[in-house]
Amino acid sequence: MGTVGWWSLVRFAHVTGAVLWVGGQLALSLVILPLARRLLAPGAKDRFTAAAGRRFGMLTGAVFLPVQLGTGWAMAWHRGVTWASLAEPGYGRTLAAKLALFVIVMIAAAGHGIAQAKGRQELARALAVVSLVGSLGVVLLATALPST
Amino acid sequence: MRSKTDDLTAGGTRPPSRFKASGQRGRHLAAHALVAAWAALALLAASERQTLPVARWLAIHLFLLGAATTAIVVWSEHFAVAMLHTRLPDRRWSNTRLAGVNAGVAGVLTGVWADLPALTGAGCALLIAAITAHLVVLVRMGRGALGGRLAPIADYYRAAAAALLVGAVLGWLLATGRGGPRHYTGLELAHVHITLLGWIGLPVLGTLFMLWPTVLGVRMAERTTRLARRVLLLTGGGLLTAVAGLAAGQRPAAVLGMTLYAAGVVVTGYLFARTPRRSPAVSAAAAWMLAAAMGWLVIGVIADLGLLTARPLAAVQEDLGTLVPVLLVGLVAQVLVGALTYLLPVVLSSGPKERAALRAVLERYWPARLAVLNLGVALMALPLPGPAGTAGGPLAGAAAAAFLALVVAVLVRGRRGPSRTADGSGAARRPVLWGTAAGAVVTVLAVLVANSGGDTGGSDVAAGAAGAGSGVTRTVAVTLAHMRIRPARIEVAAGTTLRLEVTNSDAMRHDLKVEDGPATPMLAEGHTRTLDVGRITGNREAWCTLPGHRAAGMAMSIVVTEDTGSSSGTDAAGAHDHDHGSMAAASDGGLDLSADFSAGWRPRDAALAPVPGGTLHEVELRAAHTEVEVAPGVKQQMWTFGGSAPGPTLHGKVGDVFEVTLVNDDTGMGHGVDFHAGSLAPDKPMRTIQPGERLVYRFRAERAGAWLYHCSTSPMLQHMGNGMYGAVIIDPPGLKKADHEYVLVSSELYLGTPGSTAQVKKMRDDTPDAWVFNGIADQYSQRPLKAKAGERARFWVVAAGPSDGIAFHIVGTVFDTVYKEGAYLLRPDGPGGSQVLDLATAQGGFVETVFPAAGHYAFVDHDMRHAEAGAHGMVEVSD
Repeated sequence: MGTVGWWSLVRFAHVTGAVLWVGGQLALSLVILPLARRLLAPGAKDRFTAAAGRRFGMLTGAVFLPVQLGTGWAMAWHRGVTWASLAEPGYGRTLAAKLALFVIVMIAAAGHGIAQAKGRQELARALAVVSLVGSLGVVLLATALPST
Repeated sequence: MRSKTDDLTAGGTRPPSRFKASGQRGRHLAAHALVAAWAALALLAASERQTLPVARWLAIHLFLLGAATTAIVVWSEHFAVAMLHTRLPDRRWSNTRLAGVNAGVAGVLTGVWADLPALTGAGCALLIAAITAHLVVLVRMGRGALGGRLAPIADYYRAAAAALLVGAVLGWLLATGRGGPRHYTGLELAHVHITLLGWIGLPVLGTLFMLWPTVLGVRMAERTTRLARRVLLLTGGGLLTAVAGLAAGQRPAAVLGMTLYAAGVVVTGYLFARTPRRSPAVSAAAAWMLAAAMGWLVIGVIADLGLLTARPLAAVQEDLGTLVPVLLVGLVAQVLVGALTYLLPVVLSSGPKERAALRAVLERYWPARLAVLNLGVALMALPLPGPAGTAGGPLAGAAAAAFLALVVAVLVRGRRGPSRTADGSGAARRPVLWGTAAGAVVTVLAVLVANSGGDTGGSDVAAGAAGAGSGVTRTVAVTLAHMRIRPARIEVAAGTTLRLEVTNSDAMRHDLKVEDGPATPMLAEGHTRTLDVGRITGNREAWCTLPGHRAAGMAMSIVVTEDTGSSSGTDAAGAHDHDHGSMAAASDGGLDLSADFSAGWRPRDAALAPVPGGTLHEVELRAAHTEVEVAPGVKQQMWTFGGSAPGPTLHGKVGDVFEVTLVNDDTGMGHGVDFHAGSLAPDKPMRTIQPGERLVYRFRAERAGAWLYHCSTSPMLQHMGNGMYGAVIIDPPGLKKADHEYVLVSSELYLGTPGSTAQVKKMRDDTPDAWVFNGIADQYSQRPLKAKAGERARFWVVAAGPSDGIAFHIVGTVFDTVYKEGAYLLRPDGPGGSQVLDLATAQGGFVETVFPAAGHYAFVDHDMRHAEAGAHGMVEVSD
């Protein structure tokens, strides 16, 4: 096959998933939620933000996570990454750091959902920002990985 | 409290109380969150120290330049307002300055860490701009201010800001390598002193004058104001002298300056010790910590003074490696902890009750933390072996981390205070700030982990790859010294498995990191470590990872050569052999002749001394091992007559008698001497004498000429190849006086351990590392001989070998006189001219020429392999 092969499609799915997730978070927290806070009445605002958060969370769990994990796993297999090679300096360690950061981001995102459900607004917001900044960090580390 | 602040900012007439002045609770919260974040990052970097050499630098600078600097900028402004009884500077500009300082620091740290000199420069410029603004604000505050009893303390803050400006410029010079390798030691010492003792030490001293009685809860002594002024003169003036002395490499000035500084510190300590105590103190925790910090300052300054007095600067720089952490934790961290324990509750609380609550949090377990921290510092300071020596850092770190956790708790609690109700939008913004900070911290941590290559794990991998290699292994000796790596270039055939035997022969510590490969740990002077680089398939760089060292020139390149045929053959033959820069002969590699000679190096005087009076010349020649700088930045163990290679030149007239006393000062090696100028039976006066023996050797110079003398002990190839040769000049009768008379002994230079297989192999193969005039490669290229246009110069040349002769030529001139091996081949009155004096090994003669006009006349061995590898000099002719 030519330059655009099956593996580029896999990588495309991985990158697009990340773009949508990070972009979605940015759009939510920079555009939609501030506007909602300003324009909606307090009751409507709370319902809107809760619904928006739930929907984004569902998308994350149902689509984003499986796609990222699946394509990521496939690319690692394709490149011959082993558990042992994750400790090596260079590619392995960068990938390991990226995965660890991703896990932290996901924990923060999950924590955000839980805190929101329990009505702890401040903690929820802080965790949402941790998740956003952390996912930018994941993207930074991803760009540091040589193409696979 | 808020209304009081409003009064102040509006009217500015009522003098504020000492500490409650600002009331800028939000600002203090944000600033101390920053301080805590920097400190946390510093702790992280400190815990990474084993794997990342740059992490030590980062840890120090994250703490001092990040945490301490932010705290000093905030508090010096705060206190200056209080001391001078003036109004608060514009809050927006204050925030801008603080942001500028922090952005600048972040730029500098990232720039050095990621090796981006442009970012380092930009960060430095921003930091300097922000601190200049800070200084301007501090100076302007003094104008028209009411001034108070404690006004002189503001001068401490001004002096400190000026010190940081100097320190930042010095730091920039160091980090970007612009100071040059020669001045590195002095500049680094100056940088450490002015930042640690100036930017941090002066505000600490100044603030303590007022803070010490405050935490004790007693009145300030009457003489404090007067004393504060005097101590500033002592410490500030002393520091200025010391830093100027260090930067210029003048040790006496540095010692004088540090003596003054130490005097100032001791006087202050005495004042504090004499301050009456009250029981209970306002904050016993703060008092104890400040006292301990003051104690470490006194110890540190006196230790530094002692080191400067007793040891050369290069050694002091190494010793500061232990002293800096002691001051950093014992003084700076402890002062921060102590001062914040008292001050944070004051600025963050809105009433006595809340203040007490916050103070209770910050003073939690303080006796234990105080003990652990100071035990840690003491362990760091003492040269203890084994685990006791290494436990100090973690102990102090644990105590610092514990306080950090308490500060975070107080900041979080302070955030929940009345400000939430007062300022709704501020409260809404705070979780975003916290989230951003936390996210940034985990990201930085992840990037740190991702970039932590080149430790032992990496070298294992490379070694594994080496085992699978083609089987051709080359070991190259690499020397780290004088901010250079020798050889600067290694050429290998593709596929060669390369091992580097890295030796640090510098007083300063260095390491060597190979691009995408392993790195040595920090090597102290004289330490050696073998690096398995693995199979070389592409060009690689290697460098010293200490910040600024690479930029200053500590880099080498490993270059893959195309022709695998011939070079892999010799590689195979020399497998596991140590070739120390032998590539010099074959290519441009090996010696870096364009580098600088080290400071204090002098060329050998090429001028021929006139014949001494009388007909009997008594000479003592001592044979010994001597270390000589034989090429720019390259020191080599030579075997010498009279302490130099070539040995001293003997000059006389026909018929003169030379009485030479040969003394063998060497250990474990016999030497003899053979004067070609005399005719004697080889087995008696030319015999080899053993170490400690002496032998008188007498000969009459019956015939004129330029003669060789050399060691007569076998193997002569080695004795001569390592430097045991010299010239005897016997003037032919009627020799006219020339304007300049020079003597040049040409020879080959073989680097490496004298007598080692590798070195002897080079001698046998006649593949020297350089060809030299008077023993040192390119010495007269860097320090030209001087003459004037129209002057006549006579060059005596002796080819000492041991294997090669010379084709002596001076570019741009024609010889009108040639005298070779006792006969004139050409005289000025003849019609002919000569271009080259050709001498076989051990022959000698002279040529004369007149320099036609001003200019630079190169003299060379016209065998261009030799000329381009060291047999090159220059005559600078002026009008």
